Amino acid sequence: MKWQRKDILAIEDMSVEEIRHILHTAKVMKEILMRPIKKLPTLKGKSVVNLFYEASTRTRTSFEMAAKVLGADTTSIAVAQSSVSKGESLYDTAKTIQAMRADVVILRHPSSGSAKFLADILDPAVINAGDGQHAHPTQALLDIFTMQENLGKLEGKNVVIVGDVLHSRVARSNAWCLQKMGVNVTFAGPPTLVPVEMEGLGVKITHDLDSALPGADIVMALRLQLERQKSGLFPSLREYSHLYGLTTERLKKTGKQSIVLHPGPMNRGVEISDDVANSVDALIERQVTNGVAIRMALIYLLIGGSSNVVA
Amino acid sequence: MEGTIKSKILDADGIRRAVTRIAHEIVEKNKGTDKLVLVGIRRRGVPLAERIQKYIEEFEGVKVPLGILDITLYRDDLSTIDIHPVVHETDIPVSIEGKAVILIDDVLYTGRTARAALDATMDIGRPERIQLAVLVDRGHRELPIRADYVGKNLPTSRREVVAVRLKEVDGEEDILLLERDDINIK
Amino acid sequence: MWWLKDVWVIDPSQKISASRDVLVKGGQVLEISSSLTEKEVLEKAQGESLETINGKGKFLFPGLIDVHTHLREPGQEDKEDILSGSRAAVRGGFTTIMAMANTQPPIDNRALIEFVCRQGERAGYAHVLPIGTVTKGMLGSELVEMADMKEGGAVAFSDDGKNIQNSEVMRLALEYAKLTGFPIISHCEDKDLAGEGLMRRGVASGRMGLRGIPASAESVIVARDLILAEETGGKLHLAHISTTESVELIRKAKARGVDVTAEVNPHHLIFCDEEIGITDTALKVNPPLGSRGDREALIEGLRDGTIDMIATDHAPHTQAEKARPFAEAPFGIASLETALSAVWQYLVLPGRLSLDRVIEAWSDTPAQRFGLPGGSLKPGTLADMVLFDPDFSEVIESAKLVSKARNTPFLEKTMQGFPVMVWVEGRLVQRDRTVI
Repeated sequence: MKWQRKDILAIEDMSVEEIRHILHTAKVMKEILMRPIKKLPTLKGKSVVNLFYEASTRTRTSFEMAAKVLGADTTSIAVAQSSVSKGESLYDTAKTIQAMRADVVILRHPSSGSAKFLADILDPAVINAGDGQHAHPTQALLDIFTMQENLGKLEGKNVVIVGDVLHSRVARSNAWCLQKMGVNVTFAGPPTLVPVEMEGLGVKITHDLDSALPGADIVMALRLQLERQKSGLFPSLREYSHLYGLTTERLKKTGKQSIVLHPGPMNRGVEISDDVANSVDALIERQVTNGVAIRMALIYLLIGGSSNVVA
Repeated sequence: MEGTIKSKILDADGIRRAVTRIAHEIVEKNKGTDKLVLVGIRRRGVPLAERIQKYIEEFEGVKVPLGILDITLYRDDLSTIDIHPVVHETDIPVSIEGKAVILIDDVLYTGRTARAALDATMDIGRPERIQLAVLVDRGHRELPIRADYVGKNLPTSRREVVAVRLKEVDGEEDILLLERDDINIK
Repeated sequence: MWWLKDVWVIDPSQKISASRDVLVKGGQVLEISSSLTEKEVLEKAQGESLETINGKGKFLFPGLIDVHTHLREPGQEDKEDILSGSRAAVRGGFTTIMAMANTQPPIDNRALIEFVCRQGERAGYAHVLPIGTVTKGMLGSELVEMADMKEGGAVAFSDDGKNIQNSEVMRLALEYAKLTGFPIISHCEDKDLAGEGLMRRGVASGRMGLRGIPASAESVIVARDLILAEETGGKLHLAHISTTESVELIRKAKARGVDVTAEVNPHHLIFCDEEIGITDTALKVNPPLGSRGDREALIEGLRDGTIDMIATDHAPHTQAEKARPFAEAPFGIASLETALSAVWQYLVLPGRLSLDRVIEAWSDTPAQRFGLPGGSLKPGTLADMVLFDPDFSEVIESAKLVSKARNTPFLEKTMQGFPVMVWVEGRLVQRDRTVI
């Protein structure tokens, strides 16, 4: 297929063909990551700017490594959070980056839609590394890449995403990505965190995790932001954990050797028990490699040829 | 095809003879098959490498390891070509550490593909030596590169195109010399 | 003297909707007649110079009265000021605008009321009538000096922009305002339910991960205020109604005889939440755009009289403020210059509302409710009027707008149906879309 996209902002507007193409390219990139010399001349002279308005060592490092393996130069701009003039500084920073003639800008920002906002202003490609509660496309792509490695063909498989779906960009992007690839997705959690309007994403929703587990090939636990308790969204960690915490015992209900994923960092003993967390840890090395491979693929696809570079 | 056919350089039999000869020369020059690793450069280098592997197996009784190399990410013209090249997998199933790697391609022209293949190979490991086998050498080198094994030396002009067609890829089996229709090509 | 010939006159105050000739002299409507000869007109001119306008194919109606505009002066003149806002008003067909009190500082005393009146007169375009706050500093606790502010020129009281959260304060306001005979204009929004919300809570907010404001954030306060108005017998006007539940509550309260009126903004009649894109800060407005169902309920409510008026809620902001990620941009749409055209194009042309109803809801009814001059073309009244050309089309361009603000969802869009002549007290202030 001919790649025509300037930016990677959300999975929602991507075609199945594009997703397949990204996953295929990531597979090639992963092979390169396994080589003794992990350095390509591909993007020599190109520059990648990491613009992070939220702290995230893992995602930022992953993008940096991806850019470096491809031979690009990377610059990180860590922006201190100022609650009053966030928006102004994003617009102003965008203008500065434009002047720096960057080729790709990786943005992590606490406002939903900020990635599209930036992409609309900038000539360089923009990759959304998480915008508010809206989208986290690279996380969804790396999750599905890992799932594919483990399960092969994903069509018809069942995925249950458990937890604070309402506030989760990971849940939204995964729901779009998985459903486009023919996976059945169920959101599970308390009604305050999995409200009925989330059905608008096309997923099934349930408040009874145990009834959703039978047949689940993959169970993904979301990180529970502890401050949600103070907002009254759930009464206590104890009750949450009792109803929605993933334990070995509970996971038996899938009736399968299900894979457990978690976007991290995990609250052990809250959304996930210690022993289940260990099984997630076992996958982490692979998830990290897959994350770099996906991000290499995206950077390559966006600026690897001349056709996508805006003059 | 991008041009008018001027002449047929080799037919199927001609190709078979040329590839068989290359297979013999590889074994002879490397004094056996011990260290050999055949690596086909995508795309037409791959079926050629498979054929060489088969011929060597026929006359030496040894199945030499075979790999596939995709050089897209090593091209030096990525930022100037218009069509976004699709990358494919590189798959070399054995370690090339200390081995004799034979890079195999259909046509040697400017030498830029061979240069990219050398870089890619050396990122994968440190072979004892690397050699280059091509079905056609049409001249016009832009880099100090030459082939160790050549099926057919073919002097050409830059306006001409050498089209290698292989059964596995193209459904046909021959080598054609074409004249480009558009005069303005450099 | 002006002679508008063969123009379709819509004047709900006189129940006129017919082709007429209209004469304007000395700043007043002189006569509305089914046919006049040149001889008759010249006689009436008594030597005064006469300009004759062929009104065929056009509408003439009373200058519109907007009961809800934010002019930002004093304090935020980078967004708008009384001069630019009142110029925008006449360009859009409004000859009277009620200026909301949530300026910086808020209009909470007579001196500030008089300042706004004075600035409006200085500007000399639309009549600018100030709304005072309900509480001092708009802090929601102590009532302002309502009687004194009435003396100074206030026409209503509102803490618009903020809801009066304390129900006892709201009850006292409804009681005390009886002294003035003015309604309390209520901005219905439960602070806790609205939270940090950015758009209406629903499928669209869930899909985009934009924090939602439930419809109940408005409706529960509408219910509260209706109960308080009923209990006190006070006058209540509900600003920018946007939910199905609110319409239903108002309908029932009116049936019980509660002294309530309600307004709706054009954008709530035209757009809905599904149409908001994640960077469309031009559609970020408070109350937020509702569902398709809400839009239908609002149109129906306006049709059957449950909703009495249309009001713009003109809320100008600078381009820099709106050029931010959705969460960080301020709420509001600047609409004085496009509101009438938008209602014409999206509601009247498709047959959803009659032009007669629109004009009634935007002129006669507001004049009646707030006791304002204007809103009528009765002979002897001041000639505040609009000549509307239904076929005039225009691209909404930054360079043409006279408001300081550009935060309109219609920017760069072609719209049809505009006021092409506007008079304030018989003086022509806008001709061919240019403010004079």
